[in-house]
Amino acid sequence: MKIEWQKAAVGRRKFLKGATALGAVSALPIGLGNRAMADDSSTLRVRSYGDMQSIDPAFSKGVIDEEIHASIYNKLIQYKPGREWDWQMDAASMIEQVDPTHIKFALRDDIGFTNGYGSMTAEDVKYSFERIISDETESPNKPDMGPLSHVEVTGEREGTIVLNEPFAPLWSIALPYITGSILSKKAWEAAGGKATADPLAESGPYLRDSWSPKERTVLKRNPDWKGDAPAWDTVEILPIDDENTAEIAFEAGELDFTRVSLGSVERFRVGVPNGGTLLEYPSLYYAWLGMNLDHPKLQNQKLRQAIQHAIDVPMIMEAAYFGAAEPSTGIIAPGLIGNRAQSLVPPAADFEKAAALLAESGETNVTLKLDTLNKTTFTTAAQVIQATLSQIGITVEVNVLESGAFWGSADNEDLQLVLNRYSMTPDPYYATSWFTSEQVGHWNWEQFSNEEFDQIHNSAYQESDPAKRAEMYQRAQDLMEETGAYRFLTHEATPVVHSAGVTPALRPDGQVLLRYFGKA
Amino acid sequence: MEKPRSELSLILRGVARDPLGLMGLIIVGTIIFCALFAVWLVPYDPIAMNIKDRLQGPSLNHLLGTDQLGRDTFSRVIMGGQVALKVALPAVFGAMAIGLTLGMIAGYGPKWLDNLLMLFFDTIRSFPTVMFALAVVALVGPSLETVVLVVMATSIPTYGRVARTQTLTLRNSEFILAERAMGASMTRILGVHMLPNIIGVLAVLAAMDIPTVIALEAGLSFLGLGVKPPTPSWGALLKDGYSLIRQTPWLVVGGGLPIILATLGFTFLGESLRDVVDPKLRKNR
Repeated sequence: MKIEWQKAAVGRRKFLKGATALGAVSALPIGLGNRAMADDSSTLRVRSYGDMQSIDPAFSKGVIDEEIHASIYNKLIQYKPGREWDWQMDAASMIEQVDPTHIKFALRDDIGFTNGYGSMTAEDVKYSFERIISDETESPNKPDMGPLSHVEVTGEREGTIVLNEPFAPLWSIALPYITGSILSKKAWEAAGGKATADPLAESGPYLRDSWSPKERTVLKRNPDWKGDAPAWDTVEILPIDDENTAEIAFEAGELDFTRVSLGSVERFRVGVPNGGTLLEYPSLYYAWLGMNLDHPKLQNQKLRQAIQHAIDVPMIMEAAYFGAAEPSTGIIAPGLIGNRAQSLVPPAADFEKAAALLAESGETNVTLKLDTLNKTTFTTAAQVIQATLSQIGITVEVNVLESGAFWGSADNEDLQLVLNRYSMTPDPYYATSWFTSEQVGHWNWEQFSNEEFDQIHNSAYQESDPAKRAEMYQRAQDLMEETGAYRFLTHEATPVVHSAGVTPALRPDGQVLLRYFGKA
Repeated sequence: MEKPRSELSLILRGVARDPLGLMGLIIVGTIIFCALFAVWLVPYDPIAMNIKDRLQGPSLNHLLGTDQLGRDTFSRVIMGGQVALKVALPAVFGAMAIGLTLGMIAGYGPKWLDNLLMLFFDTIRSFPTVMFALAVVALVGPSLETVVLVVMATSIPTYGRVARTQTLTLRNSEFILAERAMGASMTRILGVHMLPNIIGVLAVLAAMDIPTVIALEAGLSFLGLGVKPPTPSWGALLKDGYSLIRQTPWLVVGGGLPIILATLGFTFLGESLRDVVDPKLRKNR
């Protein structure tokens, strides 16, 4: 059949008319209905908010990589799923702190590496941990290992971790998280100590089957895994940055598990589509309003305290976090050692007290600039702060910045107020490390410098008594707040939804532990 | 005896006779009217928060619902129009004035000056507008003035090039040669004789450019880099609406609809103006 092409008689004007009509029609609310939920019971599909960055734990970028690493590698200990922070044995059959600087361990004898690299030995543990702290590796994750000196190999599967000084976060950060992954010494040495995008040798309950950048990572059950068998044959990890998109995918049955936006919590509390369930976990992140102590406009402590008291945290929770997050008391979240039961400045604004403090300060016609990221949550919170501070006569100009400019604020001498948010690991040591005098000009944007705080930070991680350690970190947060430079806002929240056939395994902060995911 | 009609009246009649032109005229007129009288038209203070009423749907109290801070979306849309025009009109007409002047000088002046100005235009044109705007905003911070200046700077070459081409065409016309023979100054030739013949084409171009500028301002505000909060802007409404689309679609409607209407209105008007102003097109219709 011959097809004859003819020039369509559609001029510019007709096209405009047509396009207008088409636009109007497309705006009509036409229900397309939900796509049938996928029913492949051996495959678990979970959403990650980003794509894998590195297969090498030394260069892991955090939670996203760790979801994969914790599935394909083993650690001596792993986080225990649940609502309380705890750990459980993984590759270790025995692990014991014999004194403040020595931890003895013995490995299970049934863990082997793929690609013919044999059983896991204490040499592999030594290689993996010392590789992280080696200057040659230049691992950005080296601080997680703290004062690790070396690992002594005392038998084929026995060894001792030796520290230069006591380091309590070893049990909460170093061993069960990013840096705790045990690699095959033979495999990595054969590759010159560097991996490309593919794992050199795996040992976990899952093996990485494929990785399509920005599309999906597929994990398959490890046929040689001798531990408790994972419930799912295949795990597909889909990188979806936008939470709205992830929610739509979940409702369409394309995902079995996803984190959802705080704004959707209220809707999901009423009911989750497809018989799913909403789980609300706290988060470890901490958001706060910081004041630059070095800025000439913020030299007056009474003024800073007036600002603290004029900010209404519950109102910010309602407007910016949709009532799904709680006000925080500091930088250390509930459930962690050092969390304060209450802050020195109550969450609700006290305008009378704020006005009195402002009058005491003697400052008049105060105009301040508030820097914030260009995300709706932060710009909304900034506008609430702007409105509440105006009630005591302080004018705030909101300065919205894109992420590049915002995260380059460390050396911004004109920084006045800043709405900030840092990520966190499950140990208070990680939180206080950004506010020491050493961090001024780096991550300590408030230019807060306090000898007692520095001393607490440098000694609290060596304290083995949890009660004493908690007291130290509580005091450290008191010191921060007493300067008036901090108004703590929230630790946010991690709401997640899962489909009816899934039993999620999550850390107390809602992060996934894929190897422990079960079937309902 | 019938009173002779002015040029403007003739153009307006021509536009009004064209259905698309009339539609454009009505839309643009409405937007300008709303922007001019926004203060009296808004039912609520567009920056007044009422958090307990946040994210409401449309009702008689709030025609387009409320945003995440409980602010009336309809009031913010109306005031957002004022912001859009505050950016678009000075930016476009500023660029037109500067471009026209430089373009006429390039077309009428000596060759070296022409080459220099062309080099200047080409240099500016080599910057992608959005990237240039993002870089400037990141450098000096977002504000209405920054957006106006960026748009103006990047639009100058467009007007300059058109003005230059028109000037080159006219400079050897008989009436210009006659003026020169009579000793008229360059200022007089350009200002009195050439300008009226060029301005029409540039006005059409300006009308078609306004929606582009409105969209650019909305785009920067969508990225959170346009006007500063709490100033209402269509792009900022779209941005918040996009983040909250699962909670309420009305912010996206509130931010998107005026951008669509403004784009259509100014495009229809520009198309129609061009048809009326250009004698060749007028004959073909």
